[in-house]
Amino acid sequence: MSKQRKATPRARLAMLTYHALMLAISAIFLLPFYWMTISAFKTNAEIFSDPVTWLPDPIRWENVTSLLTRDDFPFVQQFLNSVFYAGTVALLVCLSCSLAAYSFGCLRWRGRNLVFGLTICALLMPTIVTFLPVYLAWSKIGLTGSYWPLITPFLFGDAFFIFMLRQFFMGVPRELLDAARLDGASEFRIWWQIVMPQLRTPLIIVGLFATVYTWNEFFMPLIYLQDREAFPLSVGLFTFQSQRAVEWSVSMMGAFLTALPMIVLFLFTQRLFQRGLSSTGLK
Amino acid sequence: MGAVQLSGLRKFYGALEVIKGVDLAVNAGELVVFVGPSGCGKSTLLRMIAGLEDVDYGRIDIAGKDVTEAPPAQRGVAMVFQNYALYPHMTAYDNLAYGLRRAGLARDAVDQRVKETAALLQITELLPRKPKAMSGGQRQRVAIGRAIVRKPEVFLFDEPLSNLDAALRVEMRSQIARLHQELAATMIFVTHDQVEAMTLADRIVVLNAGRVEQIGTPREVYHRPANLFVAGFIGSPAMNLLPASLGAGGVTLASGPVLGGPTGTGAAVTLGVRPDRLSLAPPEAAHLSGAAKLIEHLGDETILHLHLDDGAALTLKLAGDVAVTLGARVHARIDMTGACLFGADGRALRPLPAP
Repeated sequence: MSKQRKATPRARLAMLTYHALMLAISAIFLLPFYWMTISAFKTNAEIFSDPVTWLPDPIRWENVTSLLTRDDFPFVQQFLNSVFYAGTVALLVCLSCSLAAYSFGCLRWRGRNLVFGLTICALLMPTIVTFLPVYLAWSKIGLTGSYWPLITPFLFGDAFFIFMLRQFFMGVPRELLDAARLDGASEFRIWWQIVMPQLRTPLIIVGLFATVYTWNEFFMPLIYLQDREAFPLSVGLFTFQSQRAVEWSVSMMGAFLTALPMIVLFLFTQRLFQRGLSSTGLK
Repeated sequence: MGAVQLSGLRKFYGALEVIKGVDLAVNAGELVVFVGPSGCGKSTLLRMIAGLEDVDYGRIDIAGKDVTEAPPAQRGVAMVFQNYALYPHMTAYDNLAYGLRRAGLARDAVDQRVKETAALLQITELLPRKPKAMSGGQRQRVAIGRAIVRKPEVFLFDEPLSNLDAALRVEMRSQIARLHQELAATMIFVTHDQVEAMTLADRIVVLNAGRVEQIGTPREVYHRPANLFVAGFIGSPAMNLLPASLGAGGVTLASGPVLGGPTGTGAAVTLGVRPDRLSLAPPEAAHLSGAAKLIEHLGDETILHLHLDDGAALTLKLAGDVAVTLGARVHARIDMTGACLFGADGRALRPLPAP
């Protein structure tokens, strides 16, 4: 047995090549992020020094205070805006999309598949196609310049998240819903009290996706918001970089602190993605 | 406890008719078992009674009230599911209490009813536990408790014992029988397990392809099957069905031997003989001969499967441990006591008089 387990030189070489290739690809993806991180802790001169220094020496912690105290980049305010924007969208997506997914995945009604098909069609529609009429509508009711146009649409669900959640809702045993109906629960109550607690993991996953998506969303806030104090970080950082192009270290510190919350969030929630569906079974 | 009356029930899935006109009266306090092969519509029929499937045609009355269009919770029914269907995130207590709370019962009344039911089913110690911390048998007891606690007119059981191991199934079966007696409850029980059907039922309803083939007591269904389907379905091993005719000397097998019994003018019939009505015999006294192709030694009895000379199959159920070798030539004799005759249309002709 032990003889069989020993890798042949050929297999070993294949394995080495494979890992080398994977490391190289990882490096390509990680390099810009690494560059941003080290640049955040250097001075401008150090960033462009020749030869390149791969570790900041000394670490310029003062870049953090310099970023947070600037008048032309209200970082803290924009950070809070991003938290509000991403958090509200994530919450609304979880509520509205799960309600739609319950209907598509757990209820039987005439025309269900057709309506679901149309919902999926919405995935194919680029935002750019509809944004002008939608913008004009918001402008007519005078709500541009606020978060209403950015958040309200998620009250009505999002095709991608409905599609994603429906797969999970379809996995809820039919008997569980039937038992609740026999117990006298309304469909709304079954959704809220019986199904939602079973699907905590998928809901958190959807919430995370929505958070990351909204945190990084650039186009919509750029279109609808005019006031620097109201910008989320994605737009705020872009505006700062375009106005203060030479201040690389502060700019990199801003980018680093913008990316950091999402990275930390993922480090703590990685296992949720792996756990997947297994927690919904009854047996 | 209420009676259940089904009148002309029909159900379609698209163009496919899955329930084809079912008429059935279940008396108050009766335990009726639906049996039939997979896909025969027994679970669909149960779900229609529960209100979980729409009725396309026909009417359902429970305790004298037309409930055809009523939502499940207002029919006075409670259901126990095969996979228990306990709410996984709630304790056993909350599982039992959920329906009562929905019905608007006061907290004290809920508490009292849950505790009474738990005591009846001896599950009091399980009340603080969630389903995942219980064994299969415990979960099923809690599921039965959830049905009982609502004091319904009718209990519906959808293959509730299928997920349990053999020993637990026997225990739960006797518990359900005991509950039926103690509560004097009307119960409708769906199963594909014939032993369950025979041991539990006051009456058995045999279903096939959306139709009722026979309604009767377990003994009636077993001893006097109404047609070839029931004859072949009820009983394990299945009844032997042999081509024959009614001649001047009585029932005559297609292979030649005359067995006596009712006479006729040569009409083709099918003779139904239970495997335990066949015995080994010397060649000169035998009615049928063939080669042993499978022998099942069960200890107290032996099931012998023969390949007859004319190509047909025959099963014998013999008492004790019979020494037969595979492939050996075996001769069998038919005891006509309890034999059944079926006409060309597959319907039972009449029970044969004892010879």
